[in-house]
Amino acid sequence: MGGLARFCVLALVLMVATNVILRYLFSIGPVSLQELEWHLVSPIALLGLSYSMKHRADVRIDFLYERFSVRLRALVDLLSSLLTVAIGGIIAWLSIFYVIQSYNLNEGSPDPGGLAFRYLLKAFIPLGFGLLLLQGVADCFRALIQLRNPDNAMPVAAQLTAEEPV
Amino acid sequence: MSGNEWLVIGMIAGFLGLMILGVPVAISLAVSGFVAGYLGFGTNLFYLMPARLFGVVTNYTLLAIPLFVFMGVMLEKSKVAENMLETIGKAMGGLNGGMGLAIILVGVLMGASTGIVGATVVTVGLLTLPALMRRGYSPSVSCGTICASGTLGQIIPPSLVLILLSDIVGESVGTLFAAAFIPGLILASIYIVYLLLLGVFKKELVPAIPAEERALISRKKLIKDLFAHVMPPLLLVFAVLGSIIGGVAAPTEAASMGALGALLIAVVAKGFNPAMLKETLHGTLVISAMVFFILLCAQPFSLAFRGLGGDQMVHAMFDLLPGGEFGAILFLMVVLFVLGFFLEWIEISYIALPMFLPVFMNYGTDMVWLAIMVAMNLQMSFLTPPFGWALFFLKGVAPKGITTRDIYVGVLPFVALQLLALVVLFQFPALVTWLPEAIGW
Amino acid sequence: TPGIVSAAASKETFNLKMTNAYPPGSPFYVQGPGSPTDFCQKVGEMSGGRLNISHFAAGELIPALEGFNAVAQGTVEMNAANAYFWAGKIPAAQFFTTVPFGLNTQGMMSWLYHGGGLKLWHELYEPYGLIAFPMGNTGVQMTGWFRDPIETVSDLNGLKMRIPGLAGKVYSELGVSVRLLPGGEIFPALERGVIDAAEFVGPYQDRRLGLHKAAKNYYTTGWHEPTNVTELLINKKVWDSLPKDLQMIIQMAAQASVLESLAWSEANNADALRDLVENEGVIAKPLPAPIVSRLKEVTSDTLSTMANSDEQIKKVYDSFMAFKDKHSSWASLSEKPLLNL
Ligand code: NA
Ligand code: NA
Repeated sequence: MGGLARFCVLALVLMVATNVILRYLFSIGPVSLQELEWHLVSPIALLGLSYSMKHRADVRIDFLYERFSVRLRALVDLLSSLLTVAIGGIIAWLSIFYVIQSYNLNEGSPDPGGLAFRYLLKAFIPLGFGLLLLQGVADCFRALIQLRNPDNAMPVAAQLTAEEPV
Repeated sequence: MSGNEWLVIGMIAGFLGLMILGVPVAISLAVSGFVAGYLGFGTNLFYLMPARLFGVVTNYTLLAIPLFVFMGVMLEKSKVAENMLETIGKAMGGLNGGMGLAIILVGVLMGASTGIVGATVVTVGLLTLPALMRRGYSPSVSCGTICASGTLGQIIPPSLVLILLSDIVGESVGTLFAAAFIPGLILASIYIVYLLLLGVFKKELVPAIPAEERALISRKKLIKDLFAHVMPPLLLVFAVLGSIIGGVAAPTEAASMGALGALLIAVVAKGFNPAMLKETLHGTLVISAMVFFILLCAQPFSLAFRGLGGDQMVHAMFDLLPGGEFGAILFLMVVLFVLGFFLEWIEISYIALPMFLPVFMNYGTDMVWLAIMVAMNLQMSFLTPPFGWALFFLKGVAPKGITTRDIYVGVLPFVALQLLALVVLFQFPALVTWLPEAIGW
Repeated sequence: TPGIVSAAASKETFNLKMTNAYPPGSPFYVQGPGSPTDFCQKVGEMSGGRLNISHFAAGELIPALEGFNAVAQGTVEMNAANAYFWAGKIPAAQFFTTVPFGLNTQGMMSWLYHGGGLKLWHELYEPYGLIAFPMGNTGVQMTGWFRDPIETVSDLNGLKMRIPGLAGKVYSELGVSVRLLPGGEIFPALERGVIDAAEFVGPYQDRRLGLHKAAKNYYTTGWHEPTNVTELLINKKVWDSLPKDLQMIIQMAAQASVLESLAWSEANNADALRDLVENEGVIAKPLPAPIVSRLKEVTSDTLSTMANSDEQIKKVYDSFMAFKDKHSSWASLSEKPLLNL
């Protein structure tokens, strides 16, 4: 999934640039390619959620957190990951109906020449938040391990990702 | 106060509480929104949530986020950005604060090509923060400068705030764009003067590159470096701006010219290889998703705010509106500022402005002038702790060792400078109204 | 007895939500005489406070084009928009907003209210649990703003234009490169020449967007939108649960809005066009006749291809065209000569 999302980033850059250049030089601009531009943002944003969580790239306010003991930090992490599971679950669950409704309507673009199968695009919402839920579960275990061994350093996996350049 | 009004206050308090505890900002927003909403109106309204989320990820103008972030990460990975700042620092000679000035200029130029704060702050932060740290700039001054510079795009046209305001006040987009031009430059100039003053009075916060190191490099080499390191990224910014001004690309798609250009520069600078491309895509994905995570999780919060009647609470403040045009403007500015502590600017403009503006129409207030004052004020809300989008976004890309406190402390002087700019505009409305009249927009 | 039941029911209060596809503050589409917020207020007053509709502009509860799904699902009870926004879900729906080279406003209203149009509309929406009524009309729209004059059909070849929907398809058959752009980016794109032409609404709304500052050639007769119906969309279950008198109040308030919004549009467009021509140096005129007739040919082909591809479209198309045929012969001897007097 991370690979697919990374590919979408590259595709987006090339797609928008190509559309601009084709239009400027040759006055070509199929509606479907223009729609594809913003269709590519959904996988980037939604598959990216769990990806950025996994690489610990979430934004947190840390002026208390950094003063906490290791144990207290692990507790906050546990709370965060439990809440992440809840949010991922609720939104994934809510949006499944949204996707089914779109599927039943056989929804496509209102513009002639636009892209069909809009429910596939919408399906990234439950998929993205579902993956977020799974990431939350993984983080839960990580926090629990930390909580059981507060004297140990962070588990190896976490250390590696934390040092990875972002 | 009614039960739901208490819930609104509880929701805001809950959000701030979770956030301060160290729970990720996005999760804090979503959790407080869901809990307060559920207690207040049950599950019903939340069935609208997926539609709002879909609205965020299919918002055309947000295309600019991954595109600009790609440009930023690419320039960072290929060391182009680092070399550029170093060279500028050296070229500025003994001038303390010189690299800070460069950042404001980058903010102005990027701001002239997009209005998406997330994209600008993240890109400028990525490009410049590590270099500033290495050069001994104070973390808080660096962070404040980057945030302030990154939000300049809100007032410098084209800008989302201005487009939305044009709808609400009923003036044309072009008029507001022209009207915002001079105020935007004034704001940037105020920042520059501030940094220069810091350079004079607190030079340890914004040190110039040491003389002995500068002595190592010949004048000739410096000029060569300027061409080699400063020209390419500068050309890039001009490619983005130029494609808008030259009629090649609409504002949002112009960002792709920057991204493509960064790719080309990396290839020419020989920093490019498949591993580096993969790292760039990785970085772009992580950072873009981080920005989207916050935008997505703000949706339950905004929905609950409305569902619980938070908008009615804002409208009730309307009864407190003092008489007289001056009093009313002052009141509006204070209300907007306070709302900016916990609400996103789109929500603020939708909730507060349609209610207040008819009053000013009755006073015969110049709506263009008022709109620019409002835009400047909303821009300030990006910077005001604890809930300023620019602050979160910078935190997301800041290197280890930069704390939230650095960022919060760093932006305070810039909030004060913005207030100063507001007062200037208030005193001299011609700064706003002159240009649109002069060019007939 | 039934009488007692209905008297009891009539005391019940209903609180409904209406979303809107247009942003807050938009004249006509959100506020002003005959607008959706005006409709909500009228319904409140006519029902003595028994039917309260809270109005939410685009982005306040849901994004602009999500109203159909939200009302079908029942989370929101009503939505204000144009039926052609739903063309991606129900292709035949676009006939209930406007048809290129189709009926003008008088004809459209006649078809809907007295030519079987409204009945077809209700049939079309029934399977989705929805019902719709006309709730406004902009009157005729304009061809749009062009940076350079258009003199021959070949001038359209390679032209870059912002034009959504069916008209975009017709233009693209003539070599126009169609660009989809959100409202806020139309001005900067046209001003800088990223696009050569742009269609929006009519003089009043276009002036508000400042399009006359970006291009001076204003081609006028809106062949692509000879009329434009605002749609009031209602969840059918909610509609059926309303007492008869409240249903009637909704229908009458919607009809009043059609009349009032149209009158408002006509008056404001007349003022705005005069201002644009006299004070802003705008050149306003219809497209040259050969271009219009070429556009008409292509439109006719496009429409009949559409009708042959989809049974629902065919049914609506046949009814619409039959009515247009009838109405045109009448109008050609009544309104048309009158305008030339
Ligand atoms: Na801008
Ligand atoms: Na704020």
